[in-house]
Amino acid sequence: MINKGFAKHYYLMLLPGMIWLTLFSIVPMFGIVMAFQDYNPGLGILHSEWVGLENFKYMFSLNDSVTILVNTLVIAVFKIVGNLVIPLVFALLLNELRLRYLKRWIQTIVYLPHFLSWVILSGILLDIFGYTGPVNQILSVFHIKPILFFGRADLFPALIVGSDVWKEFGFNTIIYLAALTGINPALYEAAAIDGATRFKRMLHVTLPGIVSAIVLLSVLSLGNVLNAGFEQIFNLYNPLVYSSGDIIDTWVYRTGLVNLQFSLATAMGLLKSVVSFLMITISYYLAYRFANYRIF
Amino acid sequence: MRAKSMMSLAIAGLMLVLSACGSGGASEKEADVSKDPADPFGKYSETVTINIGKEVDSADKSLPPGDSPENNVYTRYFKDNLNIDTKIIWQAGVGKDYQQKVNLAIASNDLPDALVVTDTQLRQMVKSNQLADLSEVYEQYASPVLKKIIDSTDGLAMKSVTFDGKMYALPNVTAESDMQHIMWIRKDWLDKLGLEVPRNVDELEKVAKAFVEQDPDGNGKNDTIGISGPQSGGLLNADFINPNNNNYGFDPIFGAYHAYPGFWLKGTDGKPTYGSIEPETKEALAKLRDLYAKGLIDPEMSIRKDAQELIKNGTSGIYFGLWWAGGYGPLADAIKNNPKANWQAYTLLDKNGEFTPHMGTPSNQYLVVRKGYKHPEAAIKMENLLLRDESKFDVSVGIGNYPLRIVFAPMDEMYVTYNAMKEVLAGTKKPEELDLPGYKLLKADAENIKKVKLEPYDKMDIQYWDPNADLGAWKRLYSTLVGIAPLMEPYKKTYSLTYSQTKTMESKWATLDKMEKETFLKIIMGAAPLDTFDQFVKDWRKQGGDDILKEVAEIAQQ
Repeated sequence: MINKGFAKHYYLMLLPGMIWLTLFSIVPMFGIVMAFQDYNPGLGILHSEWVGLENFKYMFSLNDSVTILVNTLVIAVFKIVGNLVIPLVFALLLNELRLRYLKRWIQTIVYLPHFLSWVILSGILLDIFGYTGPVNQILSVFHIKPILFFGRADLFPALIVGSDVWKEFGFNTIIYLAALTGINPALYEAAAIDGATRFKRMLHVTLPGIVSAIVLLSVLSLGNVLNAGFEQIFNLYNPLVYSSGDIIDTWVYRTGLVNLQFSLATAMGLLKSVVSFLMITISYYLAYRFANYRIF
Repeated sequence: MRAKSMMSLAIAGLMLVLSACGSGGASEKEADVSKDPADPFGKYSETVTINIGKEVDSADKSLPPGDSPENNVYTRYFKDNLNIDTKIIWQAGVGKDYQQKVNLAIASNDLPDALVVTDTQLRQMVKSNQLADLSEVYEQYASPVLKKIIDSTDGLAMKSVTFDGKMYALPNVTAESDMQHIMWIRKDWLDKLGLEVPRNVDELEKVAKAFVEQDPDGNGKNDTIGISGPQSGGLLNADFINPNNNNYGFDPIFGAYHAYPGFWLKGTDGKPTYGSIEPETKEALAKLRDLYAKGLIDPEMSIRKDAQELIKNGTSGIYFGLWWAGGYGPLADAIKNNPKANWQAYTLLDKNGEFTPHMGTPSNQYLVVRKGYKHPEAAIKMENLLLRDESKFDVSVGIGNYPLRIVFAPMDEMYVTYNAMKEVLAGTKKPEELDLPGYKLLKADAENIKKVKLEPYDKMDIQYWDPNADLGAWKRLYSTLVGIAPLMEPYKKTYSLTYSQTKTMESKWATLDKMEKETFLKIIMGAAPLDTFDQFVKDWRKQGGDDILKEVAEIAQQ
């Protein structure tokens, strides 16, 4: 049955990905042992002194630990929700557009920011929301005093989530639009003949048609529940917003790479991985249970 | 069949990884290549290659076409003179990027042959047993001038690199003038508004208010800023880990209140204390908070990406920094945009009219050599040569391109230079008389001064200078004559009890430091009430500060 000559191509195509995964994801896993050691670079991970759970004990004794865990969760969860709901709504609206070229144009424009790196975008955002930037100039028309947006701990998570959703929603929209094209037009016609309004058609034809794409994207994104976006926050935060903006990744960066506390940073990283792993497992089970959806 | 090919694939991948690991951390065999006698300037008979990591300044456009950080006038100079070949195995941007790259190299134990590192990194490397013992090599190969400069610090420089009696790095020595922070101010704005130079904090407030409200740049717009603050990631004040060279912080204001946050001080009871938890610091923070609330300090301080921008484009009227933060800092661009921008430097005094700055340590850069490298003396020879011949170099190529360069300056270098320039201008000294060993740029400075300084020689305002005659010379000499002048008056020095980390700090300092920076910034910028300072003091003591104070007390007794 199986054409063996053909199958080889698949493995060949798999090869770069496998090598990448091995080098960057599987091999570094041995580094986890650092979390249980007093890591000394001169001795390496094979000969460093074992300290058991000492690093974890110290980690949990820090006031920071709870703060960064909460910050990470809040920012990540809102990002996940935003990045699922807004593209979906946008895709549905776009789908109702009659003018095809306009639809294409909008689609292309909204997904352009996806290609900008946060290093560049952060500079632009800081200017836009700056003290003398456009946003504050508009506010001044309404006699509102200038707001130091990126210095306000209460506004920071909203700015982070908002700018991330703005940057990424175009990209996610495309995935939904791709799923939408897979719906049989005959269904729409049948529904129309049965007297369904456009809204009813959307509710009963479009949505069920792409539910599998929605579930897939949700399940995949749950793996990111503790990824609040290092690059974005690192380029935008400052000590004023540590209380609401410091996340696990930025903390690990500062602890490990700036302050050279390798083992402590690894311990926190490991905690993050364990929680993420649990989340993925649960979400996978939920998706199977309630949507009868399996990735594997 | 399929499972088998998968297996072989996985194994191939694994082998790739293993071979990559094997090449790192190799111990080189001790070959007796070097039979050259111990001569500080001796040329190797066979080319010696040294692998280095290099800090590069992306703003430095001084390299001629075809040259690179790896191959330029300096690298060729010591190739010709010493027969040393440098290979840059990685390079990173000046500052944070470079530090991070060094930290990564330490963590992965994949070090170049030689590197320039910080105190914290040096300690980590010593602890990890990654460094070559330089005691003997230093004895044999360091040139007499180099040794003399290191000895001029009364053992401070040596102490910072000696661990268990062994010397693990070559410490730099900076001039003392890299330690005191002064005030740079737009004199032309003062003149225009009919104001005197502010000498204490109250006068500073009045001037800053006038700078903000009275449109000193005369463009009809309300766009000027009184006092510049630190940029994103910048420090509010220098601390014992980075005691020198903190531009755009508020050190002079803290100093005027006798507040020394970040420094270990002798308390009133004779016991060591930490400057950041003292009431004087609270007082200074209260003032800064007040200034910020009144809009006299850059509202976007600590969020702005580049503090220099406001000075270059003529928006800011006052900033704090070092003597060299003048010409070597943003001012070359500032006068390009506005040739009349007359930045002058003064000290800020306390309420008794005395200048009371905090002082730093002469050593803050360390040249280290990896354990197992065959020619540790090569790195020292390069510094010997730099020290001897720096004045002969064509400085139009940025000196930062000299590999492994660390600063060696006699502690009084800038004071001597300042006085000598005054004498040259007065005609009482000639450049030929100023070829003093160790004072490497003195003679060149003396030759250049009359090129860029216009008469009358006793007036330092910008209109009496000609930067276009030689911008490089102007940068240095304007900084010297304007920036060093305030330091020639007598003043009261405050030193930290220690400038390096103790054992407990290795694990706890990051947390305490973060807490401090966050609290102070929030207090100044009005995001937290002033009284959070008291809670900070309590938390600081409880979360390890008291333990650290005990350790500092032990050090202080030695």
